[in-house]
Amino acid sequence: MAEQPLHLRPDAVLEDALRGLADGIAWPTAGPSPAGGPDLAAVVRARIEAGEATGATAPGRSRWSWRPARRALVVAVIILLALAALAGAAGLGLPGLRLIFGDPAASPTASGSVGPPAGSPTGSSAGTAPSPRLPTPLPTPRTPAPGPPGSGLPLGTPIGLDELDALAGFHVILPSDPAIGPPDSAWIDRSTNDQVTLVWGTDGALPETIEPGVGMLLTQFRGTVNDGYFSKILGQDTTVELVLVDGGRAYWISGQPHQFFYEGPRGFVEDSRRWVGDVLLWADGPITYRLETSLGREAAIDIAESMR
Amino acid sequence: MIDRARAGDVAAYESLVRRYQDVALRTAYFVAPEADAADAVQDAFLKAYAALPRFRQGAPLRPWLLRIVANEARNRRRSADRRAGLALRASIASPHDDAAPSPEAEVIAGETRGLLLAALGRLRDEEREVIGARYFLGLSEAETAEALAIPTGTVKSRTSRALGRLRVTLEALDGGPADG
Repeated sequence: MAEQPLHLRPDAVLEDALRGLADGIAWPTAGPSPAGGPDLAAVVRARIEAGEATGATAPGRSRWSWRPARRALVVAVIILLALAALAGAAGLGLPGLRLIFGDPAASPTASGSVGPPAGSPTGSSAGTAPSPRLPTPLPTPRTPAPGPPGSGLPLGTPIGLDELDALAGFHVILPSDPAIGPPDSAWIDRSTNDQVTLVWGTDGALPETIEPGVGMLLTQFRGTVNDGYFSKILGQDTTVELVLVDGGRAYWISGQPHQFFYEGPRGFVEDSRRWVGDVLLWADGPITYRLETSLGREAAIDIAESMR
Repeated sequence: MIDRARAGDVAAYESLVRRYQDVALRTAYFVAPEADAADAVQDAFLKAYAALPRFRQGAPLRPWLLRIVANEARNRRRSADRRAGLALRASIASPHDDAAPSPEAEVIAGETRGLLLAALGRLRDEEREVIGARYFLGLSEAETAEALAIPTGTVKSRTSRALGRLRVTLEALDGGPADG
C-alpha cells in the first residue's frame, strides 16, 4: 500500500493497474432489471420485431426502455451529473458510499438553500430537457422545528433508543464520551435502506451544526454493493481529506455545505437529504457511518473512535 | 449463428446480442461515460442488425460490432466545452465481497483506484478509448484498431501517449486524495 506512487512505477505496473481497474468500474449492466424488466437483448429483439431496424432509426426517438418511471429517474441522474459539471468520481472503499466531485451550485435544486452558489455555471442545453425529477433537498429551516432535535429534517420515523438494534437489523453504536451523552432522538428511514440517524441537541459540548437546534447527527446504514449506496455531490469549495478512524480509512469533508443523494438498489436516485455541513465518513465492516458536527476534524475523529 | 441472423432469424440475433451486450455496454460507457450506455447499445445493435448483410463473412464479429457501438456512443457525447472533465464511476468494492479480487485488482488500493479514475477522466476522448479497449476490454491491437476505426500504428502510438499523460496527471493528483 505505502509503496512507490503509481506514476513512478514501470509501464507494466501501470498497465496491470489499468487492467485491475476494470474490475472496479461501475459498468452498466444489461439486465434483466431487479424490477423484473426485460434484458437488453430482449428489448433489442422486440424493437426489431416492431420494425425499428430499418437502418433509419432516428436517434433519440422512440427508444424503448425497461420502465418509463425508471427511465425518467435515470435521465434525471444523467442530467444531474451533467449539471454538476463532474470533475471526477471515486469509490472510497466505504461500503455504500461514493463521492462525486462536482458543483452543487450548478444543480437547479441548489438555489435558495444554504449552499452558496459559487460562480454558478448555467446549463443552457440541459434547460431544454423535460423537467427532470431531481430530488429536491428540503430547505433548511431557520428555526428549530417543534419536537425533539431533528424533527424538521427528513430522517424518517422516530424510534426509541431501546429498539435501535431490533429495528435497524444491526448493532447501532453510540459515542462513549460522557460529555456527549446519549442522543436526544433517534430515527429510522425505511425508504433509504433502513438508515438510522441519531440526533443530539445543542449544548456546551456540541455547538450548533448548520441545522438549527442540532448539535450533532450520527447516521448509520448498511451499505453494500447490492443494497444501494449514497452519492454525495460536492462543490469546488468543499474539501475531502483522507483521515484514519481506528486505523481504518475515513474521510473528513468540510467547507461549503454539500448534499447527499441516495441511490437505490437499481442504481437511481430515490431520495435526497438536505444540505449537510462538516462530516466524517467511515465504515466498520458492512456498516457505514456519517458524523455531522461543527466541532472540527480532530474532535469528530475522537468521537468516532469512542463509539461502542 | 451469424448466418442465421443475417437470414433474418431474430432469435439467433438475440442470442448474438446477449453474447456481446456486456462488452458493448462497457465500450459505450468508456467512450461516452456521460451518455446512457444502454440506449446507445440498443440503437447500435439495431443498426448492426440492419447492417448485417454488409458484414464480411468470416471476419471477426466482435470488433465489427464494437465499431458500431463506439460510433453510436461518440454521437452521444456532449460537446467538449460542456464537460469540465469526465468520470468513469467506481463500483463499490465491499471488503466482504464473496468474490476474491483478481491479482491485478489487489495491486491497486482504493485510493489509487480513485486517483487512476480521476486521471483517466482528464485524458482526451481518443486516449481514453484506446485505454478502455486495450486494458478494460483486453482487445488486441488489431481488434482495437478495428473497433476504434484507426490504423494499428495509431493504436500503438496513442496507447503510449495515453500512458504518458496518465503518469503526468497521476503525479499532479498525487498531492491529495481530492483537492477538487
